[in-house]
Amino acid sequence: MSGMLAIFERELRAYFFSAMAWVVLAFLLLINGYVFAIILSFLNDPMSPGSATPMRLFFGDTFFFWLVLIFIVPVLTMRLLSEERKSGTIESLMTAPVSEVQVVVGKYLAALAFYTFLWLPTLVYVLLVAQHSSVDWGPIASGYLGIFGIGSVFIAVGLFGSSFTKNQIVAAVVTFAMLMFFFAIYFIDSLVTTQVIKDILSYMNLLQHMEELGKGIVDSRRLVYYLSTSVLFLFLSSRVLAAKKWS
Amino acid sequence: MIEAKDLTRRYGDFTAVRDVSFTVADGEILGILGPNGAGKTTTIRMITGFLPPSAGQVMVNGHNLVDDPDRAKRELGYLPENVALYNEMRVHEYLAFRGRLQGMKRSAVGEAMDEVLRRCLLSEVSGQIIGTLSKGFRQRVGLAASILHGPRVLVLDEPTVGLDPKQIIAIRELIRELGQDRTLLLSTHILPEVEQLCDRVLIIDRGRLVADGTPSELRQQASGQSRLRLEIKQAPGNVLEVLSQLPGVVEAQRPGDGDLVQLTCRSDEDLREVAFRTAVEQGWVLLELSEKKASLEDVFVRLTGRHQTEENAIDGDEGGDEDGALDGDEGGALNGDESSRGESDDTPGEEVR
Repeated sequence: MSGMLAIFERELRAYFFSAMAWVVLAFLLLINGYVFAIILSFLNDPMSPGSATPMRLFFGDTFFFWLVLIFIVPVLTMRLLSEERKSGTIESLMTAPVSEVQVVVGKYLAALAFYTFLWLPTLVYVLLVAQHSSVDWGPIASGYLGIFGIGSVFIAVGLFGSSFTKNQIVAAVVTFAMLMFFFAIYFIDSLVTTQVIKDILSYMNLLQHMEELGKGIVDSRRLVYYLSTSVLFLFLSSRVLAAKKWS
Repeated sequence: MIEAKDLTRRYGDFTAVRDVSFTVADGEILGILGPNGAGKTTTIRMITGFLPPSAGQVMVNGHNLVDDPDRAKRELGYLPENVALYNEMRVHEYLAFRGRLQGMKRSAVGEAMDEVLRRCLLSEVSGQIIGTLSKGFRQRVGLAASILHGPRVLVLDEPTVGLDPKQIIAIRELIRELGQDRTLLLSTHILPEVEQLCDRVLIIDRGRLVADGTPSELRQQASGQSRLRLEIKQAPGNVLEVLSQLPGVVEAQRPGDGDLVQLTCRSDEDLREVAFRTAVEQGWVLLELSEKKASLEDVFVRLTGRHQTEENAIDGDEGGDEDGALDGDEGGALNGDESSRGESDDTPGEEVR
């Protein structure tokens, strides 16, 4: 347990010490700030439908949200295991009395913590809105829950992508491709006519999830989906890590 | 105490290490010696649990590395080849990380830290960022990290590679000191290192164990013979005749017809006195008389070199034709000298067969 905690702490520190992480933060804030400004001016327009709240539109109702997510997660996760392999530090790591699962979970939690940190500044938007109008806190909480849930799935996928290779670029590209698939389910869904497949796809349809969560609808099936998918990819990562000993 | 039994490691069809067995006793310093690519690192990685063996088993202080990896790994300190460190961390932060990775409590890390920093002469740089350290310091940080949790067994893979002579001396000193109260396994391809540091030596070549013994045992094993070197001022023509008559001399040589004479003798006899008296009787002026003992290098070359020629002989049957064909074509076109013509003559023969 102490080993896993040590890995978590080291990894989180490494994020704060890397230039990449701060570039990602700046990029995220720039895009989010721009999107938020557009949403506000849209809602201030007398011609707009007017039923939506700014934060509801902010959570996943713009494609920017997804673009940002699909781009930043591979950047955050690509180095997690690849860098250890490339530099050779993995040798000290794997000869310490820690299991593959502990290594994977420690790193995962660190990435997830940093991801959460990246979204914290957006709380300023909420405060801004709260100052000028009454705010329904429920949907905002559930919206952030959605960001966290989807992030937890994406980061697990990214860790898995990083477990294959010592090349960070390859890790990022593989992760990007897998995330694109998760994202594309939304479009595939509308192309499929078979009801069973449609049901399965709609269960996995993250865009729809965010739409619901942004409105304040918390469906426990969504949470089970995030948790189980994350666990699956973490498990796969630890298996890859163990299997790599044989190659 | 390390017990390795029948360790074998295959990568696909390639067998990197084959049936290697040995024991490192408590408090012993054992050196693994071998040419580059002989399987030293693979062997060491199996002992530290980084690579699982394809066959065989490893026990560290009685704990099986496969059945009880956490206990076994806790007994081990390991310095990998090309010491890889996290460059963005400070020295003391890195050491604390490695300690906690080993399951130490924060307080225990704090207690062990000062002692280890002092022992590895790192106290002055403990606050420095690892990425800014020289290779010698990095090596010491790696060593410090591997002994922080107080392992009784220490495994070092090529600990002095890439260091300058001064740093090598410092690291060797540290290793000798660490070896006083620990079981120590160290791999190297540097012969003097083994002679200086190790109680016992394993020689590995092409994945096989070819020798196991103390340095002096191996030296004796290598040659039942010792060599005597004489320099005689204006040596007369009959010098070889006279010297080869002496009892115990196997062979007398005079390389390059100079004043130097080399005697190969049975090693159980010290012929220096006899040689001296003979020189006096003959009226020779003796400028130098010295005995050259077989070095570990001789052993090494004998064991691994012989291996190599055998292997080449086998390769020659299969791979030779290709080479011959290539050389033959080129040689024939360019200068057509005897040897290359001979080879191109071979080629059609091979093709027919």
